[in-house]
Amino acid sequence: MPERIVELEQVEKDYGQGAAALTVLKGVSLVIERGEFVAIVGASGSGKTTLMNILGCLDRPTRGAYRLDGHDVSKLNDFGLSRVRNQRIGFVFQSFNLIPQLTVVENVEVPLLYSRWPRRDRRRRCLELLEAVGLSHRLNHHPTQLSGGECQRVAVARALVNEPALLLADEPTGNLDSRNGEEVMRIFGELHAAGRTIVLVTHNPEIAQALPRTVEMRDGLVLRERRAACEVAN
Amino acid sequence: MAAWLGFVAEIVVLGLHNLLRNKLRSLLTMLGMIFGVGSVIAMLSVGAGARHQILASIGELGVRNIIVNSIRPPQEKKGDESESWAERYGLTFRDRGLIEETCSSVERVLPVNVTKKRVWYGSSRVEGSVLGVLPEHMALFGMTVGRGRPLSELDERAAAHVCVIRSSLVRELGVLRDPLGMSLSVGSFSFEVVGVLEDARFQSHTRKALAIDDRAQEIYIPYSTSMRTFGTLSVVERAGQSEKSIVELDQLIVIAKTSELVFPTSRILSSILDSLHKRRDWEIVIPLELLQQSEKTQAVFNIVMVLIAAISLVVGGIGIANIMLATITERTREIGVRRALGATRRDVVLQFLIETAVIGLIGGLIGCLFGLGVIELLVRFTGWTALVEPQFIAASLGISAAVAVLSGIYPARRAAQLDPIAALRNE
Ligand SMILES: Nc1ncnc2c1ncn2[C@@H]1O[C@H](COP(=O)(O)OP(=O)(O)O)[C@@H](O)[C@H]1O
Ligand SMILES: [Mg+2]
Repeated sequence: MPERIVELEQVEKDYGQGAAALTVLKGVSLVIERGEFVAIVGASGSGKTTLMNILGCLDRPTRGAYRLDGHDVSKLNDFGLSRVRNQRIGFVFQSFNLIPQLTVVENVEVPLLYSRWPRRDRRRRCLELLEAVGLSHRLNHHPTQLSGGECQRVAVARALVNEPALLLADEPTGNLDSRNGEEVMRIFGELHAAGRTIVLVTHNPEIAQALPRTVEMRDGLVLRERRAACEVAN
Repeated sequence: MAAWLGFVAEIVVLGLHNLLRNKLRSLLTMLGMIFGVGSVIAMLSVGAGARHQILASIGELGVRNIIVNSIRPPQEKKGDESESWAERYGLTFRDRGLIEETCSSVERVLPVNVTKKRVWYGSSRVEGSVLGVLPEHMALFGMTVGRGRPLSELDERAAAHVCVIRSSLVRELGVLRDPLGMSLSVGSFSFEVVGVLEDARFQSHTRKALAIDDRAQEIYIPYSTSMRTFGTLSVVERAGQSEKSIVELDQLIVIAKTSELVFPTSRILSSILDSLHKRRDWEIVIPLELLQQSEKTQAVFNIVMVLIAAISLVVGGIGIANIMLATITERTREIGVRRALGATRRDVVLQFLIETAVIGLIGGLIGCLFGLGVIELLVRFTGWTALVEPQFIAASLGISAAVAVLSGIYPARRAAQLDPIAALRNE
């Protein structure tokens, strides 16, 4: 029986209040099952980032319900949302968002710091992940000493460090050249093959085409969905 | 708990990194803290030094002793003075007799006769303060003889021309031979040196209490010898004129039976002397009271230091708050990233409070060093004594960390209240 990782029910999001309120999401319902790899596409301003913020528990729906991994998270307070982000969500951002003062390993450790892992376990776990993304030789470098592609691979390692139920990536290849972009997508492909649930926003039609499921947004609503008939990854 | 400590340690390291990245700014931030902590340490240490010195003096002076000094009363009209051949003032033999007879709380009264004389050895000369004392006087004030012997009962009975001197006198006279047994000319009389005192001098408070002239060398001779050879007349050359004065008893050391009886006895002494003397030509010094007096003189210094410390710490606190607000603006994106990765508001508050505490502690440490420097200068140029106790350093570090944390609260809360999404969008 497939498990539902994400369950959005008529989710709406307003920015501002009263007369000035702007409804950015106008009733999005979406179910994502464990192991799915979903692309979200759509014109700029269609609400993709807003949707990702809600999926990532950085924000709460104004109306509607959101169950993440079986837990209702639409009514959680700031503390609860922080814990959920820490335990169940992995983020990969377009602009990497590594902390410049920290080394590569230290950056990957940050989520574990907030789940109070003991230092030695933390190191071991981070080394494993950095090895998996091919960066074992860069452990003590600072982000400024790395290429864009390397930074994004560090970010992927960081997103995975807490074994999240859901991996979210908002235009992860947007700041990369095509070769590095392909490398990052190859890693996502591997993660998908290993059973991860991934939601990825992209402007690149080629990338979207290659994924098993695409959700297209327009003006705060899901315009249409496409599912590949046969799920054969890359 | 261990995990939590690990988290704190991590943040401390991070805070240190951030401090070191911008050394000049960090130093400027800590300046107020440095001055504040420096003043606190200087104030505490100078206070402790003074207290320590006075306690040592009280030890020397003895808790059972009351010192009654003759003092030259304020000059009256010129006319009066020129009439008499010599000015007569101070304690009298009658005072001594009355005290011994009427005060049941007094164990013993020791007279001291002081005369100013030139002291010669060969062709070298120094100003001497010749103190005629009873044999028990020296032991009473803890004067131990390093070489030779103290004045004895026999010396007293025979009114021997012997003296006990301080080693500084030997040096000042340029004596190269063994001072024991050598002959000194005191005024026009010759005295044999029988003993040299161990200490070069008394504590400064002791000197003041015993009215010992700082510019003259002390020479101790038997009381009887002093009375017979020099008598009660003393002649001091001042501004080309010789001032003559007659003081029967320059000083009385009144020993109370117990230390509890010191204050009652001194009140009785006061009333006796008040009734016998028309003028205020005497003073009573109680060693136990020295502490209060010195605290009074220290008060001004303390007020100044407290003000400097308070102002510096407030300015330092504002400086830290200001720099932390700037830091938070600079690091908005980092805060957003940390929040996205699961930092709770509490984690963010904690991170920035720990960073300010690190600034405070380092500022405090530098402040301690600065304070030690100030103390060194004070000691060198004012002759004060200072006593740096470890708990002062601990207190200063505590104060600086507390001030820093207090000034970090507002910026840290600001950081924690940032909306993670807005913080992430920040460029
Ligand atoms: N904090 C906000 N306040 C007001 N309007 C916002 C805010 N964030 C996004 N919007 C608006 O919501 C709409 C959707 O934005 P976004 O979700 O970023 O779209 P996309 O990621 O698809 O480009 C846009 O019109 C944008 O201007
Ligand atoms: Mg967007």
